[in-house]
Amino acid sequence: MLSKLTIAFMGWATAISGHEMTPAYPILKPSHVIGIVKAEMSLFNSREEVQYYQIDLYDLNWKNIPFSTTYRIFKVGYKERKNFVVYIRESDLDEATYLCTTSKIKRRAESSTIISSKICSRIDGEPA
Amino acid sequence: MKYTIALLSLCALPAFANVDIVGNVSAKCVIQTDKSGVYGNPTAPVLSTTPADGGVLPVIRFDVALANYYTANITHPTSFSSSPSLSDNVTWTGSTSVTNTSDAGMSGYDAAKVVYDNTTVFDLTVAGSTWFSTASSATYAASKPFPGGTYTAVVQATCIAK
Repeated sequence: MLSKLTIAFMGWATAISGHEMTPAYPILKPSHVIGIVKAEMSLFNSREEVQYYQIDLYDLNWKNIPFSTTYRIFKVGYKERKNFVVYIRESDLDEATYLCTTSKIKRRAESSTIISSKICSRIDGEPA
Repeated sequence: MKYTIALLSLCALPAFANVDIVGNVSAKCVIQTDKSGVYGNPTAPVLSTTPADGGVLPVIRFDVALANYYTANITHPTSFSSSPSLSDNVTWTGSTSVTNTSDAGMSGYDAAKVVYDNTTVFDLTVAGSTWFSTASSATYAASKPFPGGTYTAVVQATCIAK
């Protein structure tokens, strides 16, 4: 019962204003290029004030790791889901750990704090 | 021919099909921006999101579908992302705390939080929603008044798979 309520609540919560990226632990698959693997990701944007998201790949110490994708910064409309693919060199897989998307925020005309959201999946597998 | 069709129609049975509805619940984190903060200006050299100072605290909600898969890392600002030209240093303070939860099991989040530099880390050990608010205050050097204009600072809310 509790889990059903949680799922129902999550459904309601997602409908308001948020940034969601799945899967948390993407499965890396071979790409059409030898020596390159790919991670298939999905991002849902329900933040009305955000239209662009940036993709980054990091190691365990949050140092950037090179990767390839169609657009590093891509547009996602309000309440729109966008699937994207990230290509990573097999030789970087020992170090590559976090695959993240970060919201790009606009300047405002009032003295305020603005919230940048960032969600990171782990490409080195689920914890044991 | 007529008799054959008649015989075949008698043999016809209604068709039944089972259609499955399949659902999957997997680890997922959603960051909700419930409220953007506003800086109040209680005295000339201070900008603060504290309600007592005329500000509004930013409120961020983290929703996790499964327990023990994510940490919430919230970083309060240490610089303005946009402001009028400032010739002196600004001193920053800030903190993040839990303001509401969807499950009583989250009551220990505040006590268990880890703070390093300007980042506060919460281990999301229970499935459901947690509301966090971040206080931020900026004081201009030598109690000088802040120049007139618009000041914006960024609170970074990060949900990291463990």
